[in-house]
Amino acid sequence: MLTRVKSAVASLMGGMMAGGSGEHPGGSDLPLRFPYSRPEFLGLSPDEVECSADHVARPILIVKETKRLPWATGYAEVINAGKSTLNEDQACCEVLVVKRRSAGTSTPNRRRSSLPNGEGLGLRDELDGSGDLTFHYWALFDGHAGSGAAVMASRLLHHHVALHLQEVMDILCTPGLQPPTCLGEEPINHLTPTSQRALTRAASLRGAAGAPGAPGSPSTPPTRFFTEKRVSHESLVVGAIENAFKDMDVQIEREKAAYNISGGCTAMVVLYLLGKLYVGNAGDSRAIIVRGGDVTPMSAEFTPESERQRLQFLAYMQPHLLGNEFTHLEFPRRVQRKEVGKRMLYRDFTMSGWAYKTVEDDDLKFPLIYGEGKKARVLATIGVTRGLGDHNLKVHDSNIYIKPFLSCCPEVKVYPLAQYEHGADDVLVLGTDGLWDVLSNQEVAEAVGGFLANCDPDDQHRYTMAAQDLVMRARGVLKDRGWRISNDRLGSGDDISVYIIPLVHGNKHN
Amino acid sequence: MAYAYLFKYIIIGDTGVGKSCLLLQFTDKRFQPVHDLTIGVEFGARMITIDGKQIKLQIWDTAGQESFRSITRSYYRGAAGALLVYDITRRDTFNHLTTWLEDARQHSNSNMVIMLIGNKSDLESRREVKKEEGEAFAREHGLIFMETSAKTASNVEEAFINTAKEIYEKIQEGVFDINNEANGIKIGPQHPTTNSTLPGSQGGQQAGGGCC
Repeated sequence: MLTRVKSAVASLMGGMMAGGSGEHPGGSDLPLRFPYSRPEFLGLSPDEVECSADHVARPILIVKETKRLPWATGYAEVINAGKSTLNEDQACCEVLVVKRRSAGTSTPNRRRSSLPNGEGLGLRDELDGSGDLTFHYWALFDGHAGSGAAVMASRLLHHHVALHLQEVMDILCTPGLQPPTCLGEEPINHLTPTSQRALTRAASLRGAAGAPGAPGSPSTPPTRFFTEKRVSHESLVVGAIENAFKDMDVQIEREKAAYNISGGCTAMVVLYLLGKLYVGNAGDSRAIIVRGGDVTPMSAEFTPESERQRLQFLAYMQPHLLGNEFTHLEFPRRVQRKEVGKRMLYRDFTMSGWAYKTVEDDDLKFPLIYGEGKKARVLATIGVTRGLGDHNLKVHDSNIYIKPFLSCCPEVKVYPLAQYEHGADDVLVLGTDGLWDVLSNQEVAEAVGGFLANCDPDDQHRYTMAAQDLVMRARGVLKDRGWRISNDRLGSGDDISVYIIPLVHGNKHN
Repeated sequence: MAYAYLFKYIIIGDTGVGKSCLLLQFTDKRFQPVHDLTIGVEFGARMITIDGKQIKLQIWDTAGQESFRSITRSYYRGAAGALLVYDITRRDTFNHLTTWLEDARQHSNSNMVIMLIGNKSDLESRREVKKEEGEAFAREHGLIFMETSAKTASNVEEAFINTAKEIYEKIQEGVFDINNEANGIKIGPQHPTTNSTLPGSQGGQQAGGGCC
């Protein structure tokens, strides 16, 4: 993405970018937080990492025979065709066991002081102590402007998830327990939801009308006179994932003071916990479920176009974030000076449709969101609007920070895995944008379905081979005119990373 | 580790002829009688010395199965040397050499040095392909030829090193354009500072080092 950022910015500002300086936006004298490598589960030696970074032959890396992933998950990746020296995608796959916090350390603030460093958290103890909470975790990160943030997130995000799940594991591990609104208080479970709602509503109305006269009647049992939202176990898990993303982003920002953590990254995680799959996405990776040949999207991409109204609203409320260089309004194209005073199509944060307005001088500024499809950019700089890191990213040659417009918040979708029966060919496919830029959901579903149908259902490598096949289809073959895929379409020159997670494992145990 | 040149090799040939075992014998000096099927590409690397110069061999070990052929084909590009392997105890693996050679010629650069290897020479009693047949095939197609045994390590070093010598000679003759990475040859980092363009190379224990 960096090269595209560079060219977009250069054309905007009409300036020249200093070659190669973009990889270290400041802090380059500091040590790396984590050395660059490929995903830990690939178990590559430094020599193998070196081989993998071949932009000419672009080898597709897969999980080795000796290193199986949980659920026989398939994984494959390939490096870009030369846009960056390193593969800026990262991945992580773990089975984590969350243990109850010992009573002495349960003060809420203690946790903050011991933020994850990837070691000694006691989260992976496989001892079978009763009440431990086990979850499966798959994650993809797509870095830009350097690999530091992606590598760090791939090493640490799951620990943040585990910490947040640990806080609510007592509730999650008690089926049927309504999460108490306030920890330590008696839950109000003696009323049925409907009668409770009716009563409290009536009571609160009464209270509002005649509160001054009510303090008497000491014989009445203590009743709560307000409505109370019922929160599900599922939404506690969603909240844990969301807060884990936020903490990860904060940790990257804080540790930038002491380490060189370059760039930013998108993040997509999948959790399997207590019979359900949770797909959290902050960025432009994508997840789909292919079941019986049918596609169910499990994520939506966050791009300048999909988040236009949020970004425009922020700029409207906080105009100083635009540094007097940009306008929050969108026009179909750049406005020219000679058009001032004319009526031109535009849209504001309040609109999904278009209308006409009289062009003013202010409208000549560069639009906050500009470009279409994969070329759409926020502040002429970045093409993805959610993710981690990027704290130092600025509009080229300016003091305008991009980060306020980026959100680290994932959208989490839930799939009740245990509720359905799945066959051996039903899978969850995750991929970074390198895959989805060149293949549609339907093409991916057909490719994976077709490949798996021709594999022995008992072959433990079938999902790995399917992932390799899928990456091959997206990468294509190098011909005279670049990388080509089927029908002589252009193949993806981006880093491509893919998981194929078989869903048949959800049938067991639940 | 510093090297004068890096040569990229690819090992090709039918499934089960011993490609992965040859690589393991060369890089780790051991033999694994039951080797898992290679389903994609695996890598090995080793330093050798030719003419007093340190040369790093980067070796790509490919899947021999027909179903992976299109993936394997895509790895020929950018290889300076190829080890084309057959199994002297299986005639069909020898018969398929023409197909492999066509593939290799079509998808690699024209200067790629190809070493024909008849592997499993320790299984003399089960031999189906005579050494002379291998020699004749190599002569006819302009290849170097050796019989090896990944099990006993016989000729394994020689196979890899002789291929490198041939490449090295071609470099001396000016046949290879060593500045074009697509030829599978890279000049080693001459000065320690040339690494500085690699993001994060300050990390000390930087994995991989300055490749590509």
